[in-house]
Order: sequence, then C-alpha cells, then structure tokens
Amino acid sequence: METTTYSVSMSPHIRGRQSIETMMATFIIGLVPTSLTAIYFFGIKALIIMVLSMATAGIVEAVIEKATRRALTFKDYHALLTGLLLALMLPPSVPWWIPVVGATVAIVLGKALFGGLGNYAFNPAIVAWVVLRLSWPERMNLFFEPHTTNQALTPLMALKVDPGLFYSYDLMTLFLGQKPGLIGTVSSLAVLIGGLFILYRGVIRWHIPISFFAGIALFALVLRYINPDVYPPVSFHLVGGGVFLAAFFLAPEPVTSPVTVKGMITFGLLAGILTMIIRMWGAFPDGSFYAILIMNSATPLFNYLKPQAYGRSYRA
Amino acid sequence: MGFFSKGITLPKRQLVTSLTLIDTPVPDTVVLPLRQYIGQPSQAAVSVGDTVTTGQIISECTDAACLPVHATISGTVTDISAHRDPRGSMTESVTIESDGTDTWIEPPEARDTALDTTDILDRIRSSGLIAKGLLPVPLDTDLAPIDQPKTHLYLNGTDIKKRIDTLIINCLDAEPSLGVNRYLAGMEHSSLPCGIDALKRITGAQRVIFAVDKHVAPSSQLKDMVKNDEEEATSIVTVNGRRYPAALPIVLVNTVLAREIPLPYGHPRDVGAAVYDIETVISIAEAVTGGTAQVDTMITIGGDAMAKQGIARVRIGVSIGSLIDSLGGLRADAAKIILGGPMTGMAHYDLATPITKEVTGLFAMTREQIQLSTGYRECINCGMCVKVCPVNLLPGIISLYCAKDKFDLAEAAGLFSCIECGACDYVCPSRRPLVHLFRHAKNQLME
Repeated sequence: METTTYSVSMSPHIRGRQSIETMMATFIIGLVPTSLTAIYFFGIKALIIMVLSMATAGIVEAVIEKATRRALTFKDYHALLTGLLLALMLPPSVPWWIPVVGATVAIVLGKALFGGLGNYAFNPAIVAWVVLRLSWPERMNLFFEPHTTNQALTPLMALKVDPGLFYSYDLMTLFLGQKPGLIGTVSSLAVLIGGLFILYRGVIRWHIPISFFAGIALFALVLRYINPDVYPPVSFHLVGGGVFLAAFFLAPEPVTSPVTVKGMITFGLLAGILTMIIRMWGAFPDGSFYAILIMNSATPLFNYLKPQAYGRSYRA
Repeated sequence: MGFFSKGITLPKRQLVTSLTLIDTPVPDTVVLPLRQYIGQPSQAAVSVGDTVTTGQIISECTDAACLPVHATISGTVTDISAHRDPRGSMTESVTIESDGTDTWIEPPEARDTALDTTDILDRIRSSGLIAKGLLPVPLDTDLAPIDQPKTHLYLNGTDIKKRIDTLIINCLDAEPSLGVNRYLAGMEHSSLPCGIDALKRITGAQRVIFAVDKHVAPSSQLKDMVKNDEEEATSIVTVNGRRYPAALPIVLVNTVLAREIPLPYGHPRDVGAAVYDIETVISIAEAVTGGTAQVDTMITIGGDAMAKQGIARVRIGVSIGSLIDSLGGLRADAAKIILGGPMTGMAHYDLATPITKEVTGLFAMTREQIQLSTGYRECINCGMCVKVCPVNLLPGIISLYCAKDKFDLAEAAGLFSCIECGACDYVCPSRRPLVHLFRHAKNQLME
C-alpha cells in the first residue's frame, strides 16, 4: 500500500455525466427526426446536402486546429452539429458547393475567428446562412414541392405576394411537413419530437422555446384582433416557417443564449416579436433566423437580468 | 419537484450502498491533533513517556476558541510533534501507543439532568464536542456565541438579531453520499429527549422540527415524540435527501421555515433558528448525563474501492491506513482517498493522516467514480451552473472573472455568498474547476 499513489484535487470529487461531447451528441440525436423527414420529402438530394455540410465543417475545423496548433477539439461533435444545422436551413434546390461554402464560413467566420467554442457571439450556423442568403439570394430562394423538382413558393413567400392566401393552407399539412420549404423546417412535428427529446435530456431549458413561441403568438394575436382578414392566425405563424427549428435548436444554442431565467424569457419574447416584425414588414419572408442573430448580440446584456442572490435581501 | 428546484440529484452509484454499522477494532496507535476544529490549538499537558487512560484530558486550553483533547485509547505517549491533519495543514499532535487494555478513566458519578445552561455548556465543553459541518467550531461557542453579532449582517438597516424560536433536528446528512444522521434517525435512542431538552434550554427554542429524509422511514420514537407532544410544538418535515445540497443549514432553514439566512457569513441563529444534527443531539445528551469524553466519532465508509460500505464508529486519532486495513483493505483500482463527503471533502495522499472529530466520512473512490481530470474546456455559457446554484449566483461568469484575476469583479458578483457546495462544478459540461477558482479568488481577496 505504501507504493500506491492517490490523486489529490479540490472538491467536488465526483462529476455529472454531462460533457460537451454528450451535449452536442444529444443535439445531433435531437435532429435525427428532422433529418429523416428532410430525406423523406426531398430525397437523396437532402442527404447529400447534409453529408457535405457536416463533412466540410468537421474537416475545416480539424485543419484550422492543426494549422494553428490549438487543442484538437473537432471530435466534440460541435462542428458536425453546426454543419448539420446549416444544412437543415438550406433549400433543397442548392448546388453541391453551397453547403461546402456555407460550412466553411460557419466554422471560419462564425467560430474559429472568435476563438472557438464558447467565445463566438453569434450562432455560427445562422452567420453562414446569412452570408449565403446575401451572396446568392436567387439560389437560396428556390424551393421545390416535396418529392418533386417543381418550383414552388413557401407559404410565407406566398403571403408576401398576397397576404390573404393563408386561407388556402391546411394547418395540419403545414405542421406535418407537406409543403415547400427549407429541408429542415418543413416538418414542425419532427422538430418538435427532437426538441422535446433535448429538453428531456436537459441540454436546453424550456424558457427560451416557450417564450419564443409566446412572443410570436402574442404579436400574431394582436394583429389578428386588428384585422382577421389580412393577418393569418397564430397557428399559421407557428407552423408556416422555421419557427420550430429556431425555437428548439437555434435560439437556445448554449454559447449565444442568456443563462438566467429572466434573461432567457426576455430573449425569447423579444426574438419572437422581432420574428413577427420582420415577417410582417421586413424584406424577408421568414424572420426567425435573423431575429435570433440580432438578439444574439444582446445576450451579454440579458445576463444582467440576474436572480436576487440568496441571503442578500433579508426578509423577516 | 426536481424540475424547478435548485441543486442536483446524485445518481445511485455515488451513494453508500448500505446503512449498517460496521465493527472496527480499537486501534494500536492514535495520533491526536491538538486542534480538531476551527479555532486555536490547545497546548499539550502530557509529555513523551507518560501513561494515559482512555478519556483522560491530555491538553489544556488557552481561550474559549479552543477545546481540550482527550486520550482515546489507554497506553503511552510516544511522540508530540507536528502531523498532517484532515484539513491538510501540519498541526501539533500527540501520538499514543496502546497498551492493549483500553482502560477507561473513572467515569464521573451518574449525574442529574436538571441543570442550568451554564452547567450544560460546561459539560459539553469538557466532553470536547464540536459542531460538525462546513464550519466546525467548538460546540459550546456555536450554541452560545461569545462574539457579538457582526455588523455587516445588519442589511438594509434591519436589525436581524432575533431570539431563537425553532430548533431543527437535522436527520439528513450534509451530502447524500453520507449516512450517519439517516442511520441514527432510523433507530431508537433513550438519550434523545434529554439532548433535545438541553438544546431547548440553551437556545430558548419553543418549537422542535425533525427534518427527515423521505427515503428513510423515521423511527417510531420520533413519531411518538410528535404524537405525544400535547402542545403540538414538535413536528416532522420530510425533505428529499437525494437532492444536494438540501441538508446544508442555509438551504434547510429556507426549506423548513422559509427564512433566508443572510449571506455571506450568516448563521441560522441570525434568523431565529438553531440547526443541529441528530448525531450532535445524542452526543450532547451523553455529555450531559454521563459526562464522558468524546473518544469516538461516527463516520460514513463509502466509495467503490472500499471492501465494506456503511457506518462505522471509530476511535478519534486512528489513521486512515489502519482503519482501511481493519475494514478489509482497498481494491487495486482505488484512485482517491477522501475525508468527508465526495462533494465537499478533502482528498488525501497520506494514509497516516488521522481521523478527527471534524471528519464525516471516509471514501475510497475508484477511477470510474471520480473521472480523473483530463483538463478543462472553455466556458460554453450553457447556464447549467446557474440552474443548480443554491444561492442564486452566476457561477460560470464569476469563474471567468476569477480565472482572469479580476477578483474585485468576482466579489461584486457575489463571490463571498458562495457556500462552495460544488453543485456547479458537478454539472459543468466543460469540466471547469469552479470551486477551485472560487477558493483561489477568496484567498487572494482575503490576503
């Protein structure tokens, strides 16, 4: 026994099971239903987009870390998650080089330049999506009917053309996914299943998704109250575009979202309201990604909405 | 419940597998540090070569922040020198070699229990009892503080000095991995009413509340005490003992009485409550009636590398190594030896370190149980630490200040309210050593 050495460290001596790897893996598992519906609706094309995007993200991160002699962290699945999220935000019509360029932008511009995981201020997947959207607007704006290559408008684009068109959509169909759209946002049901899974596993908390939905719903309710003929109902806004993906996988992204309960609720509400403002009066049909990107910049501010530290307010 | 409440739930694999009493032999050698609490060390009153009997006082006190030390075996004093103590510092200690007989000092005659508070405090003091917990001080100074209430506790102009009205008997353990109090709460103790009576008289509390674990059925004695109390001043409150840190006084007083102990440096007495472990209550009763010295202490034996797990009553001063040997040795993959619980205890490399009164547990952890550190990643701002912090701090953000040597910012963010429970550290997916950073910053600020 004399020769045995025992390690010494500060307490606590035991650790929970959650690690960055398990967190990111949980996110990816949560995106599996969405990925499957993407393949179901848009076929092998969707699979190619996802594989290209994930592979590029992983390779680019590994190359950067090798070149800059930093710790090799590309195995923590975060690059893969970023690549997958970006792929799910692309329309099915994109040529093969769009996901490649996008994933490179996400890792280089969105993540590595800020100092890697934990340091970036903006969600890398959304940064890349915005760059693609602004650089190749016509390629990023070409949508297909599911199972075909017939060009079609997404419900929200159709609304920009004629606000009264919302009557022609069946809400259940929109919810299940039989509509033109980004490959990962067509089926809100699939995103919801994955979202509930990551919520159950504790990698996100309920505050941001719920308050994000609430912000959209409140704003839509007010508009609906003002003029029900022009403004679509709440449910249309929730399932018509990318709200579910944004609420469960983009807004609560750990690095770029607030940590306090009050901060998370304010963040979600404001992001929801901003989404609606962009949808109603902005240049773009779906504002949820932009709204989150804008709110990301205010995240450090939301962290000032702290809870009262225990024992600081004496009550009798 | 767990969805909204603060703190963490420990998995079953980190809990002690059984709450049964393990027999341990009287040790051959004991090392008795002359300070086994926070305070001043006492001075040795014996010299090398002296013969001592079990229970004999072997040191004298210089002031009230110090306690006498008793010999815990009979034999010969062989050495008086500095030894490593469970806090990791070098403390003057008396080493006694056993004569193998364990002869006790003449016990005082059986004494009556109708005493005034000064007598009770005297007997507690001469028995050498300490208040176990995060801040182990001599028990009599904890019961009847010598120093006046600290001025910084007067927050927002409110005078927070109050009369103690409630006595909470803590039948939970400071950490879910420990089990002594839960073990004692499941048994009958003839001395329990006497101890509670003494505590009520010292503190002036009218009400008694037993805080028990919902996973361990309280003994029929506790239930009877509640049932037979005609004034209905006794009650039982059940708390989820698997939650951590549910049983720390700061959290427990809030759960049971909805009173918020001021932080930093707060004490239950500041909000009119007294919180004592059931183990302490029984020790008080023994000190008051028998007047015997505290020569042994109950500790939890745990960890997967330990041959036996359970509760052990061990002589104070026995070394970790000989205690482990008498318990059947360690498994080969033992990676860490901890005195105290896994969440707040201290890791030791020196198996000659003695078990003292402060020690609550002895854990031998395997490699799988502790996940030896392989470095840590940057904070990813996930907010898990904020979710679990029992005192509502933002541990991740404070740790960033601490890591960047911005100690003043850390202090402004509430660093000194941190009770170092370790819950944030436990959940951190980046494996950041949060508690380590907080302690480092506190030390720097206090210099």
